[in-house]
Amino acid sequence: MNAVRSLGPLALFALAYAAVAMVITNSYYQLMLTLVLVWAVFGLSWNVLSGYTGLISFGHAAFFGIGAYTTVLGQVYFNLSPWITIPIAVALGALAGLIVGFPTFRLRGHYFALAMLAYPLALLYVFEWLGYQELTLPMRRDAPFTYMQFEDPRINTLIALVMLVATVIATRFIERSRFGMALLAIKQNEAAAEAAGIDTLRWKLRAITVSAAIAAMAGGFYTVVLLVVTPPSVFGMLVSAQALTVAMFGGVGTVWGPVLGSVILIPISEILHAELGARIPGIQGVVFGLAIIAVILLAPEGIYWRVRDLLRKRSLAKSGAGMPSPLRGGPSLSEAEIRGGDGASGTAGVPSGPTPSPSPQGGGELRRGDDVILSVQGVSKSFGGLKAVQNVSFDVLRGEILGIIGPNGAGKTTLFNLLNGFLRPDAGRVLLDGTEMVGRKPHELCRAGVGRTFQVMRPFLRMSVADNVVVGAYVHAETDEEARRRADEAIATVGLTDVADRLGGELTTKQLRLMELARALAGRPRLLLLDETLAGLGHSEVGDVLAVIRKLARSGITIVIIEHTMGAMVQLVDRFVVLDHGMVLVEGVPKTVTKDRRVIEAYLGKKWSAHVDA
Amino acid sequence: MTSRYDLTRRTLLGTAAASMALPGIVRAQNPTEVKVALLVPISGMYSRFGTVMRMGAEMALDHINAEGGVRSLGGAKLKLVVLDCGDTTEKAKNAAQRMVAQEPDIVAASGSYLSSFTLAVTEVTERAQLPVLTLSYSDLITARGFKYVFQTSATAASQAEQALPEILKLAETASGRKPQTVAIVTDNTGASVASVKPMREGLLQRLGLKLVVDETFTPPIADATPLIQKVRAARPDLFFFLPTVISDAKLVLEKMNEFGMGQGKVPTISFGIAIAMPDILNTVSADLLQGVLTCVGNWGVKGQEKLIAELKSRYNEPWMDQNAISTYGDMWIIKEALEKAGKADRVAVADALRNLDLGPSKYYPGGLTKFDAMGRRVGAGLTVVQWQNGVPYTVFPTELATAKPFWPKSS
Repeated sequence: MNAVRSLGPLALFALAYAAVAMVITNSYYQLMLTLVLVWAVFGLSWNVLSGYTGLISFGHAAFFGIGAYTTVLGQVYFNLSPWITIPIAVALGALAGLIVGFPTFRLRGHYFALAMLAYPLALLYVFEWLGYQELTLPMRRDAPFTYMQFEDPRINTLIALVMLVATVIATRFIERSRFGMALLAIKQNEAAAEAAGIDTLRWKLRAITVSAAIAAMAGGFYTVVLLVVTPPSVFGMLVSAQALTVAMFGGVGTVWGPVLGSVILIPISEILHAELGARIPGIQGVVFGLAIIAVILLAPEGIYWRVRDLLRKRSLAKSGAGMPSPLRGGPSLSEAEIRGGDGASGTAGVPSGPTPSPSPQGGGELRRGDDVILSVQGVSKSFGGLKAVQNVSFDVLRGEILGIIGPNGAGKTTLFNLLNGFLRPDAGRVLLDGTEMVGRKPHELCRAGVGRTFQVMRPFLRMSVADNVVVGAYVHAETDEEARRRADEAIATVGLTDVADRLGGELTTKQLRLMELARALAGRPRLLLLDETLAGLGHSEVGDVLAVIRKLARSGITIVIIEHTMGAMVQLVDRFVVLDHGMVLVEGVPKTVTKDRRVIEAYLGKKWSAHVDA
Repeated sequence: MTSRYDLTRRTLLGTAAASMALPGIVRAQNPTEVKVALLVPISGMYSRFGTVMRMGAEMALDHINAEGGVRSLGGAKLKLVVLDCGDTTEKAKNAAQRMVAQEPDIVAASGSYLSSFTLAVTEVTERAQLPVLTLSYSDLITARGFKYVFQTSATAASQAEQALPEILKLAETASGRKPQTVAIVTDNTGASVASVKPMREGLLQRLGLKLVVDETFTPPIADATPLIQKVRAARPDLFFFLPTVISDAKLVLEKMNEFGMGQGKVPTISFGIAIAMPDILNTVSADLLQGVLTCVGNWGVKGQEKLIAELKSRYNEPWMDQNAISTYGDMWIIKEALEKAGKADRVAVADALRNLDLGPSKYYPGGLTKFDAMGRRVGAGLTVVQWQNGVPYTVFPTELATAKPFWPKSS
């Protein structure tokens, strides 16, 4: 339904554009109308990869140029019409994308961007070396339709418009499906995406393939419009930059961004060139550059987002009273449920107030079966000389809440990374239901039923809570609808239903923590690894989150939670594993662990352990 | 923004009304001025060349108008419309489209320096039936079967064919020995590659020359040592060096000097205008350039002393290069075509250009002021220019030379 709704503005835009194109008889304006669309399509192609995954490509000219040269060489040497060569260009572009992507995706961030820069430059020299410095599409006045050389330039604009509409629909589809969600998840946090069950390399390869195919289409048609192809005009730095400029100016990561950028920038640059350039040659570049700098400063994420934020703020202000308070939790949580026992006393807390659901949280002992879900056996990991984790062994029983505690630097997060596949242990075994898991990638572990949250939250601030959570739901969901349903359930479980339509950026820290939990839950894990889920929360907020975790445990999910503050944990867990200096110090129920002098010593120093003895 | 008003006016009046009423009025009496266009890069990295072309065009129009304008149009004056091609083929094409769409009364144009710009521009003007004169070399420009483009320079392929025998003759008379071996060091730009192509493909062989070094580089070079080491090892009798970027020219010439082959000890021959631009003296000393030869489509020659002096005094240009003189000539050709056509109409002017025959060429070396069926100037020759004491003089063709060539005695 969302997809249909979003096609409304597109249809309007296309009709309006076509109407303008039909009215304008001036061939120069008509050429501008065509070029705006060509660059918009090219910007969109860039957006499919870089806008959604956040991996900036400085090298989209490589694909653009492949499309352009396919078209021109096809006609010069084989007398093939662009009607045939543009589809061939699309296929070649897709192939090039795959070939480029496979090695280049090993790199991240700036390294990826710089590596991408090399491809078009290399191709530029290859095509110069091949002797294709200047090529033109042979004029075919005898068969204008067959060779796309229409007398009436309006037809060019219409063809470009069809390409744009197709690209927008494709992008929309990607944006709304698990494809787009996977890319957005990669953008916000590639590690979290892997942990949520997303095979990041595969999705990135798909993205670059689609992106390159569209870029090649744009390049192929550009040749039909320009009729002349030279290596710098299709492989040059400026071509790659054009895609970045229109997309970043208009708005990255949205289908309207590149369209907006192209509709504004291309005509402005041309008008400046025509009006100012004749009087003070070169000034057009200065004015254009300053305009872009100004916009980037005022709207760093692009015009689209700036305008959307303003509109949203206005509509929020209007309906202010009707909005749910951001501080309100889910319906299943009450203030009473929040309050646990007195953590400092060392006994596991029984909720003291009236609770809407029965609380199974007793002392925590002997309530669970002896069924081992996860067995950690002699796991070690060193970073150079630092032995982060040394010969750690413990079992996690089905249905229990196991707390892993230890002072800062004890190796807790490293241990988690070993458990869910981000790191490979130097020695030892990790058995999930008896199956060896060492060497599996995080998304495979997720598929096998291990969910995880992260110490540092990286929610996608522009996405709604529902969209943030649905990313985690795709792993076992057959269809997008099923994923949506699972996400809704997970949101209900953590009590965020009221704010499901809010943007990530509008949430409180507690709500963000709950949202992270919901994302992990949406993948229906059997075992949930929670990394410092309580960090940064106030006292009452801790209670809220604890209540949710208890609820999850009651529903049958085994939970392993890391914390370095012991107070809150004592109320929650069935058992503790205490780590210090990468080794297991003590293992046992909270009552014994909190009184163990080695634990006190590790946390507070010798002085305090002596105090306990006294 | 006049263009916006144009659009509304157009839409309001409708094409029918415009096409019936306006030209009728215009044609009833002779126009007082006729628009000719210059479509060249005046911004971006090629602006230097376009600016010099504009100087040539302005001088020509001043002279034409001072002599009474177009007589067959009742003394109508020529008016220059300058359009900027910018620095990309896309901008060049846009400028051409703007020209034909918004200046419908332009009768002819000259442009656009770089071959790839000219190719893109003429795709537009051909469809708009607007005649264009060009000094660009690329054979492709007049090999597409176009009817509205006229090439005044010898094409790239024919330039080497023409120049090499002359250079051999010069070498033989000066040194008493026929050169045997040749080295080529060229960058990979379109014009350079097109110039050496015939040499590599049989021309050298036919002239009995042996190619001992053949290196192509991508500008800009960081270090010319490996290139020049190869040249020194081979000790060629002739060294063909085709740079486009001045820094490349500087690096190679300095390295030649360092290796004891500079200042003509190994005779150095280039193609194109790059090595003879005034700007090169800002970075390369006149000593290093001494004796360097270059083959150019056109240059200031004997008989044009007045023009050269005017260019110097009016624009402070130290000498008249191809861009200035060819564009100057283009304007005169357009004027003559207008005289012949008898009306300020682009199709008529194109027709007149196709049938033009003004006899021996006045502003271009060799041949006639007459175009063949492809649009190439009949018998188009070229000039060979030699650096002598900090100035590039025309040394060939002999009858047009402004200085005598010298062939440095090799050590």
